[in-house]
Amino acid sequence: MNDQWTVVVGVKQVPDEDDVSLDPDTGTLDRADAEAILNRPDRNALEAALRIKDEVGARVVAVTMGPPMATPVLEAAVAMGCDDAVLVTDRAFAGSDTWPTSLVLAATADYLDADVVVCGEETTDSSTGQVPPGIAAHNGWAQLTYVEELDPLPEDEQIAARRDVEGGHERVVADLPVVVAVAYGENEPRTAGLHRKIHAENEFEPVELTADDLGVDEDAVGLAASPTQVGGMETVEPVERERERVETPSELVGALADEGVM
Amino acid sequence: MPVDVDEYEDVWVFVEEHDGDVAPVSWELLAEARDLAAELGEDLVALVIGEDVDDVAREALRRGADRVLVADDPVFEPYRADPYGEQFRHLVEERRPDVVLIGGTHTGRDFAGRVAVPAHAGLTADCTELGIDEDGHLEARRPAFGGNVLATIKCENHRPQMATVRSGVFEAAEPDPDRDGEIERVDVIVDEADTLTSVLDRSVGETADITDADRIVAAGGGTEGDLDPVLDLADALDAELAASRKAVDEGWVGHDRQVGQTGKTVRPDLYVAVGVSGAVQHVEGMNDSDVVVAINDDPNAPIFDHADYGIVGDLFEVCPELVDLLEDADDPTEVPA
Ligand SMILES: Cc1cc2nc3c(=O)[nH]c(=O)nc-3n(C[C@H](O)[C@H](O)[C@H](O)COP(=O)(O)OP(=O)(O)OC[C@H]3O[C@@H](n4cnc5c(N)ncnc54)[C@H](O)[C@@H]3O)c2cc1C
Repeated sequence: MNDQWTVVVGVKQVPDEDDVSLDPDTGTLDRADAEAILNRPDRNALEAALRIKDEVGARVVAVTMGPPMATPVLEAAVAMGCDDAVLVTDRAFAGSDTWPTSLVLAATADYLDADVVVCGEETTDSSTGQVPPGIAAHNGWAQLTYVEELDPLPEDEQIAARRDVEGGHERVVADLPVVVAVAYGENEPRTAGLHRKIHAENEFEPVELTADDLGVDEDAVGLAASPTQVGGMETVEPVERERERVETPSELVGALADEGVM
Repeated sequence: MPVDVDEYEDVWVFVEEHDGDVAPVSWELLAEARDLAAELGEDLVALVIGEDVDDVAREALRRGADRVLVADDPVFEPYRADPYGEQFRHLVEERRPDVVLIGGTHTGRDFAGRVAVPAHAGLTADCTELGIDEDGHLEARRPAFGGNVLATIKCENHRPQMATVRSGVFEAAEPDPDRDGEIERVDVIVDEADTLTSVLDRSVGETADITDADRIVAAGGGTEGDLDPVLDLADALDAELAASRKAVDEGWVGHDRQVGQTGKTVRPDLYVAVGVSGAVQHVEGMNDSDVVVAINDDPNAPIFDHADYGIVGDLFEVCPELVDLLEDADDPTEVPA
């Protein structure tokens, strides 16, 4: 009962969506010149995890599944205050959709003996929001999505949350272990202190885990094990707008009258 | 792990209800799924989970379902991911539907994965278009990268083919009071003792449906929480109030009025964005509007690229002026003889 909680935070490196451009001739995405950043909703997840630590004491471990190139997001997490960070990396994971991705993260959470897994609401590059419920489903754990506030209840081995639901809110109590997806923008993520930043960038090395370490069957991950495939990408012609600047409200009313919408 | 896809048939639509109120997206999906089922030559089955949901089940028949499966039990009210997911998964494994459609609401996105993972089904998030390809596979299309790209997702070797679908992208069919069909009560396999969560309280008000509105005035972060100018403008235009996520996150406007990627897709004749910056995630939800007007004090705000008419100015000045003009226009004494 007095065991300290382990809080695992899932983070992801994504291309800055403001930077992703589309080649107008080929219709392909140009992500190469987009800066790789920490998925913005994950900052809210990190903050929520660190607040659990502030409140009840916990070991907070950031986890990312990705290539070694993704290490900077783990450094950012450690700089913010995470105790440790794990890079889950294996060629076998390449091409995974949300099913194998959540399988690997579920296995990682299990391996780390997580009491609470905290994720961002969704990633800005694929925006499915399916990974947190997927982790919970793979492990048969409780889940809380669209969470705005968390109240750890360590004496009951539970966590309470305020969730956003259509048209209102609810308060839910979940048994541990639990997977939490924090609603984007719901808290004010702390900034990293200079000291921790220097530590994260110079002394910190993430632990690396492979499919083998996690006991994950290589046939259960990667492109071949992904139920969904991208069958094609079409560029969408941007909606043509007049983009007319009007100087005064009466000009606007006139224009709208001409459009027949008044 | 691929399955024999021919063993799976029928198109299922999850009818989301809370306390007897049905989420409008469920009826939108039922209308769209009618066409998919016809194309596949399969039945359209509605799935209703809740407590005392007979009325909802009958309504699903009137709205186009051939059959309705009902799981009726107190364990399902209010909604929780684990009992819903467990019951739904059981039905999917027992009856093997070909296609399963779920509204892309918080509820739908919460538990879809809870079904898809154990079933090893393909799940596509937040689709805006659905079709059937020449091999009879579902083609689920969803915008990516701020709506610049439409990605087509397929699931060829796994079943069911699951998708969550945004609110407001399809049109609900009018209920036909003469339509009838079979309502089947299914075994409830969930036990309260096994649940992992409990809902302490739930407070929801009337939810607004902005997806049907002809005119919309949207409030953004620029209002800084003072919605009066926006509300007055909405009043003068006889428009519905909507909001950007910023205004929703700040608690100024309810989530049911949020427009955008994680909100609703709207298609009014007139959309007035007031103090809204025009972030890609917002624009995605309003791009189908007929005429877009932007009011913003920053001449470089991206919203102006997505607007037909833009006024650069302080919303606290522009809105009241517009209201005055509109009210004068409405006032018959002002009409010149
Ligand atoms: C995963 C994810 C999902 C998201 N989903 C959505 C979504 O569904 N919908 C959505 O809207 N956003 C969504 N966002 C958020 C989005 O990226 C933006 O943060 C948000 O839309 C900003 O809201 P805003 O433009 O109203 O506010 P701000 O960014 O605060 O912009 C306010 C604007 O008002 C102008 N302004 C300020 N004062 C005045 C004044 N006095 N008069 C006139 N103009 C003024 C400013 O110039 C500025 O352009 C999502 C983000 C993420 C990461």
